[in-house]
Amino acid sequence: MDYPIWNLAFGGGVLIGIVAITHVLVSHFAIGGGFAIAFIETLAVRRRNPALRALAKRSSLMLILVSTVFGAISGVGIWVTIGLVQPAATSALIHNYVWGWAAEWGFFILEVAMALAYYATWGKVRPRTHLLIIWLYFFAAYMSLVVIQGIISFMLTPGRWLETRSFWDGMFNPSYLPGLLLRTGICLFLAGAYLTLAALREPDRGARAGMVRLLASFQVVGVLLAYGGYRWWEHVLPESVRAIFLGAKALLPALASTRHLVLWALTAYLLLALFALAAPRFHRWPSAVAALLAAFAFFGGYERLREGSRKPFVIRDFMFSNGVLVSEIPDLNQRGILSKAVWAAQTSGGEQAKGLAVFRAQCASCHTLDGYLSIRKLVAPVDADMLNGILSTMREEGNEYTSGQYTHEGHVATEKLDYPLMPPLVGTEAEVDALASYLLSLKPSNVAEASHGK
Amino acid sequence: MESNLIPALDPAPLPGPPWLFHVLWVVTFLIHLLFVNTVLGGSLLAALAGLAGAGKREIQSLFVEVNAWAISFAITFGIAPLLFMQVLLGRFFYTATILVAWAWLGMLGLLMVGYYLNYVAKFRLRAGKGAGAVLIIEAACFLVIAAIQVAINLLHMQPGRWARVAEQAWAALADPTFVPRYVHFVLAAVAMSGALLAWVAVHRATKGGDAQILSGMARFGVRAALVATLLQLVDGFWLLLTLPEDVLKAFMRGGPATMVPLTLGILAGVLLLVVLAQIADPLANPTRVRRVAELMVGAVVFMVLTRHQLRTIYLAPARANEQVTVAPQLGALALFLVVFVLCVALTVYALVKAAKDRPQAGEDAA
Repeated sequence: MDYPIWNLAFGGGVLIGIVAITHVLVSHFAIGGGFAIAFIETLAVRRRNPALRALAKRSSLMLILVSTVFGAISGVGIWVTIGLVQPAATSALIHNYVWGWAAEWGFFILEVAMALAYYATWGKVRPRTHLLIIWLYFFAAYMSLVVIQGIISFMLTPGRWLETRSFWDGMFNPSYLPGLLLRTGICLFLAGAYLTLAALREPDRGARAGMVRLLASFQVVGVLLAYGGYRWWEHVLPESVRAIFLGAKALLPALASTRHLVLWALTAYLLLALFALAAPRFHRWPSAVAALLAAFAFFGGYERLREGSRKPFVIRDFMFSNGVLVSEIPDLNQRGILSKAVWAAQTSGGEQAKGLAVFRAQCASCHTLDGYLSIRKLVAPVDADMLNGILSTMREEGNEYTSGQYTHEGHVATEKLDYPLMPPLVGTEAEVDALASYLLSLKPSNVAEASHGK
Repeated sequence: MESNLIPALDPAPLPGPPWLFHVLWVVTFLIHLLFVNTVLGGSLLAALAGLAGAGKREIQSLFVEVNAWAISFAITFGIAPLLFMQVLLGRFFYTATILVAWAWLGMLGLLMVGYYLNYVAKFRLRAGKGAGAVLIIEAACFLVIAAIQVAINLLHMQPGRWARVAEQAWAALADPTFVPRYVHFVLAAVAMSGALLAWVAVHRATKGGDAQILSGMARFGVRAALVATLLQLVDGFWLLLTLPEDVLKAFMRGGPATMVPLTLGILAGVLLLVVLAQIADPLANPTRVRRVAELMVGAVVFMVLTRHQLRTIYLAPARANEQVTVAPQLGALALFLVVFVLCVALTVYALVKAAKDRPQAGEDAA
């Protein structure tokens, strides 16, 4: 809020989503792929099976190209984008979890070194040493997930951290273990799906069928773990989060549809994996690619669900998506939002300019003028009285976040509010009036009048 | 205007004492910079390898093979200083990056292109094909990344320039110290990579190999290091003289704390020149070549300290009223330290084992 605003026509949240989903698809493969390759090479050594060895070797180039190059850079990419779009939230997370991230970095050093060493030592060291390297790689990669899962899940379910501010309470929050189980399943099935594509290049039909069956078993186990983890995750969510996408009257129908997509994609994926297990000779490129797409659809959908169900917060019950802290609502209502939003306040002019500043401070992190969640389209059907009523209600809802009246089991029961998916409007009455004035000026009739008058 | 635009300090306490974050920041940045110098200087020397009398292909091969690892480690070791810096100076850093958001984000695209091009060059060279154009584009990617980093680094410690840059993002380059500072980093990278090249050639010569090619590699490395260090001395004084007057005065008044690292850094540079100038035939002077590499690392260490001190001086007025609270997370800090020591130990153990372990006659290889 008190940072400059990066105006993106398609919305900052969308950019974070694109970068994050791309990264997790790669990073989870990097973990599961490590396990699958370690497992396959171990089998190859024990059974003296050259075809399995060739599969492990073929897959290892893909592992370093996606893991150490794309995975590493897109991981930094998440840092870059959240710092640009949500700097206040990034700062809050850094202050609480810097040691967690630093520990993850320690594992990352081992992971990167082992990935590069593994590929570089094919045919050069004894099998025992080569296996040590790939199992160390997998250990480091999985442990980085064990750490980062704490921070990711914290944002949705901070749990006891809200009272204690303890690092460990935040890390081991209510959705930590369900999410970890779910992600473990995802790692396994993504590895199975990707490596099947490598296995299909095996010219020997018998060997190929064996590989496809082995990888199908990874996928079946992965899907079952992911399903169990997903259901557990839904179960531990606070009622206010579940209300957003669960039940017949979900607050956000688009997110409820995403949930359906997620479950159907997982079902389709399970069927394809079972098909590969039962009839590996018939599992060729079309069904393998379909399985991969179903895996992507499930994972991408889940990430969308997890991010979307945080609304209206970026850190639930602590910080709203526009960077306003729950704890600072009374103060900002008294002093004014523009007393803190130093960059948004850099405008000169009358009432509408002040309104624009208030808009930039509180609304621009989600709404663009004409692009994503266009504010112009949203205000088009609203008249002055309606708009004043909406803004007044949104401002009053700020009191309900701080009064405790709507608190249930430590969470603000957002589903009981009139605008459960939007942060409350904060600021002085004069600022709210200015915002109304600015928003009304965006209505097509007013824009036309203004243009005509020139 | 200046102080009005600085975001408020994050209300959360620091999870450890500030000095610890400074130490971790400087140490991890130093390691990061050593890899960055290898990547930037190495890709430049690989692109310019045609200027070498002999060993062009070997020079290119060496740097693409080294960079396949060095780029990864430059990224990995870049994460830690980025983390620790955000704890201490997040509000300055986020603001600077948002003001040049597309450049900051675009840096990732350039990094990815540069890294993949390195693999393209690596596989082309292994297949006996040429890779000149690929290496030139790769080097260009890393040169632009360096410029973006220097611009953001300057911007985050000069809140007085923010309003202007908010109006026109290109103004991020309009600082008198930008060019000398950028040139300073590029020359350091070239000098260090030149020293590395000469050292590898000398090392290979002790194990046999084509003397003419190795001599060509070593001479090219020494020449690059010599020219870059010579220019560096000139550029270093240019950079010092373009510093804002108040910053320069505060730096000079810092006493031994600021003057010792700077003086030692300059001395290391002068000594480097002397040693480099004495190397007529690198393969016949392995000790001097090793001395060059040691002096180079020493110069980087002192300059990293000076750079950190300059940042503190630049930001002193903006942070004058900063009321930082500290609530150490001792358990989490212990977790980090244990994980870090364990992972570094495992990394060293596995890499040494991978380097030494070779199958006996009749034994299978992996």
